[in-house]
Amino acid sequence: MLSSYLMVAAILFCIGLYGALVKKNAVIVLLSIELMLNAVNLNLVAFSKYGVVPSLTGQIFTLFTIAVAAAEVAVGIAILIALFRARGTVNVDEYDEMRR
Amino acid sequence: MFNIEWTGEYIAFIVFSAVIISGAVFMINFTKVVHMVVSLAAVFIGIAGMFVLLNAEFLAFVQVLVYAGAVSILMIFGIMMTKHKESETESKRGLHSLLVGIGAVALFGILFYAIRQTEFPQEQPLQAVEDNTLEIGKLLFTGYVVPFEIISVLLTVAFIGSIVLAKKEANE
Amino acid sequence: MDTMFSEMAWLIPLFPLAAFLLLLASGRSGRRVGVAIGSVGSLASLVLSILVLIEHMGDGATYYQDGFKWIDLGSFQLNFGYEVTNLSALMLVVVTAVSFLVNVYSAGYMRDDERISVFYSYIALFTFSMLGLVLADNMLSLYFFWELVGVCSFLLVGFWYTKPAARAAAKKAFIVTRIGDAGLLIAILLLFWYMPDHALDFVRIENVFEGQTGAVAAGVTTLIAILIFVGAIGKSGQFPLHVWLPDAMEGPTPISALIHAATMVAAGVYLVARTFDIFQASPVAMETVAYIGAFTAIFAATIGIAQNDIKRILAYSTVSQLGYMMMALGLGSLTGGVFHLFTHAFFKALLFLGAGSIIHAVHTQNINEMGGLGSKMRITAWTFGIGALALSGIPPFAGFWSKDAILATALHENPTLFVVGVVAAFFTAFYMSRLFFLVFTGKPKGDGKAHESPLSMTIPLIILAVFAIGAGFIETPWNGTLSEWLTGTAAAAHSGGGLVMVISTAVGALGIYLGWLVFVKGTIARDAISSRAPWLARLLERKYYIDEIYEAILVKPLRGLGQLLNAIDQYLIDGIVSFIGGTAVFLGRGGTRLQNGQVQTYGLITILGLVILIIAVVGRRFWS
Repeated sequence: MLSSYLMVAAILFCIGLYGALVKKNAVIVLLSIELMLNAVNLNLVAFSKYGVVPSLTGQIFTLFTIAVAAAEVAVGIAILIALFRARGTVNVDEYDEMRR
Repeated sequence: MFNIEWTGEYIAFIVFSAVIISGAVFMINFTKVVHMVVSLAAVFIGIAGMFVLLNAEFLAFVQVLVYAGAVSILMIFGIMMTKHKESETESKRGLHSLLVGIGAVALFGILFYAIRQTEFPQEQPLQAVEDNTLEIGKLLFTGYVVPFEIISVLLTVAFIGSIVLAKKEANE
Repeated sequence: MDTMFSEMAWLIPLFPLAAFLLLLASGRSGRRVGVAIGSVGSLASLVLSILVLIEHMGDGATYYQDGFKWIDLGSFQLNFGYEVTNLSALMLVVVTAVSFLVNVYSAGYMRDDERISVFYSYIALFTFSMLGLVLADNMLSLYFFWELVGVCSFLLVGFWYTKPAARAAAKKAFIVTRIGDAGLLIAILLLFWYMPDHALDFVRIENVFEGQTGAVAAGVTTLIAILIFVGAIGKSGQFPLHVWLPDAMEGPTPISALIHAATMVAAGVYLVARTFDIFQASPVAMETVAYIGAFTAIFAATIGIAQNDIKRILAYSTVSQLGYMMMALGLGSLTGGVFHLFTHAFFKALLFLGAGSIIHAVHTQNINEMGGLGSKMRITAWTFGIGALALSGIPPFAGFWSKDAILATALHENPTLFVVGVVAAFFTAFYMSRLFFLVFTGKPKGDGKAHESPLSMTIPLIILAVFAIGAGFIETPWNGTLSEWLTGTAAAAHSGGGLVMVISTAVGALGIYLGWLVFVKGTIARDAISSRAPWLARLLERKYYIDEIYEAILVKPLRGLGQLLNAIDQYLIDGIVSFIGGTAVFLGRGGTRLQNGQVQTYGLITILGLVILIIAVVGRRFWS
């Protein structure tokens, strides 16, 4: 049973990865990152039930992850809005400050 | 691989994973941003269902509240405030997309292989307790009280920070 | 007598060096004082040199040597010192005297030149190097100064570097003398290798070779002597390396007088005289020196007849007279060579300075465009005439005595060379009379505004003229002062002295008479030879086509080789280099495209890298 959960998480992670690296819209990139985080959460909870040492610790960690992800989304959207005001676009490929 | 007994849990698992994966795929393939957010909400709810199957009822509720509720709404606000074009323009970077696809598939292949190869110990799975929320609460306020407090501080800082970041600078 | 002044001999080169440094430091602002600094420097050297010479005239103080340790390599030690012998004391006076007079003369001759202070600094540097060469006490430091005078010659020949001819002449002088210098360097290396204790100082060289100790094998001795002579050939303009000297006349005339007549070109003779013991140990080398000297003497004299440029005539005359000196040395007469060097320095400097005075007045160097200058430039004409007579070997002028000493030796040692010397003397007298009569007699040509040169130019002429008359009396067939003083032994009486004197005087007079007939009286038509044997006249005028031969057999193949190598460098080597460079640039361009600032590209590369890493690390178990 464990491997089935892990497989779903892997699929989810890879789709999220693909979206994060391909999509132009910065909001969608953020969404894809959320997908990847959720895949991790799924792994944690699955191991919490079927792992070598089953315990509730995995669930506690998932809780923390969710809290951090929530904070991340909030800050990410805020940065996005600030960037949008400055540059007038949300296209990721137009953000190339690192080249300069 | 297919010699598994068709229990209720397994059928539920199949349904949830179908919801999750199709939601994720739709999210990638939709062109309208609002549709993407909706399919993402479907993914979050599917994961919440998975949490229930894994005897993590409290987490399932948190998942629905935070992800399907707060995060999706936040995303929609973000979409509205950045008033971008309604639909996602098609990516012109063919080579880039192809390479990312290859990379993602290869990574999945590696993960798949690793998962299939691993011998997981067949121990007794965690038994469903009477009150999952109670157990988590006890753990949070005994063994994990310090991380808990730190995460609360982090949240506070993050929210204040995002307000500062997103605020229009008045004197500009 | 003590050695008080000899001990101070090391100061002699330092005065010009100080003058050079002062002039260098003062730059263009030194235009006014440049003349004074240069002249005072050389005057101080002159005074001290005369004192040293006087000291050496007496008894006792025949030799003084001092110095400091320069190189100390294991058992090998080399001093950087100076050495005063009678020979070098004499040379000191010659060099400083001519240098001082040229300094004074240049004050008038170069008065209008922009870079007169640079000119003076070069002269000072040259004087320093030449004096260092004279005083050097070992082969290595001699070589050091030898090259320094070469550099000065290069700088001064090319002094008017805006003229293409001057640039070409400077390069030619430098490159041709380098060929000789290479020979000298090899000779020094051989000496270093074969001498006991690797000694390079003259004292020990003298001891080894004079004693015929057999420390150095005969074949090696000959080789060393010949190679030293190759160096002398280059510097002294002997055949076949004489080609640079006439071209070097593109330099300012005072320089021609100082470097290319009196001092530097005599360095080759001085070198042979200095290492005379090596030559004496090898009869083959001695014969080589004698024959090459004699051949050069007659060869250059015949060219001199057909030239029209006043300075070129004098240049070929210099080559010819240097050949005389070499012949004397080759015949074993150290005295004859050095004596002729001594007198020649004065009268040839006189002739060159006189030529400079003429050029200054008429602004041309072609003797066919001159004429009738005798009445307008009395001092120049008289002094030039004295110089010409001295060169032609008419008694009692200086050249007669020294040439007589050489011819007497030649008669005694090798009658063939005696005949060659006499014929060369005849040609010498002929071309000098041609030069003199064409310039100073006849009808004035050109604009006729010629006038006598300023005092600063005529006074050196007069002083030199006095020397040209009197310098010969230190050694006559009846009075062997110089040879006794130089060689330390009483001179053997010249056998057949009277006969030689009569012959050489007669030949000189005959040459002059013939010149008078042709160029003044017109009894013999000027084109008597050129109309009958035009090829001969052409051959002489074109200097036996030596330059053309060199051009054809040496310069062209070498230039072709150079172009080939250049092409290889340009296309092959450069091609490889730019291919490597281009590859780097190409890779860099690729890198720039990757480095496009896009987070997603970086993420892509990270993922691909991760996949490759995992496959590489984990996948090993499958293929090993």
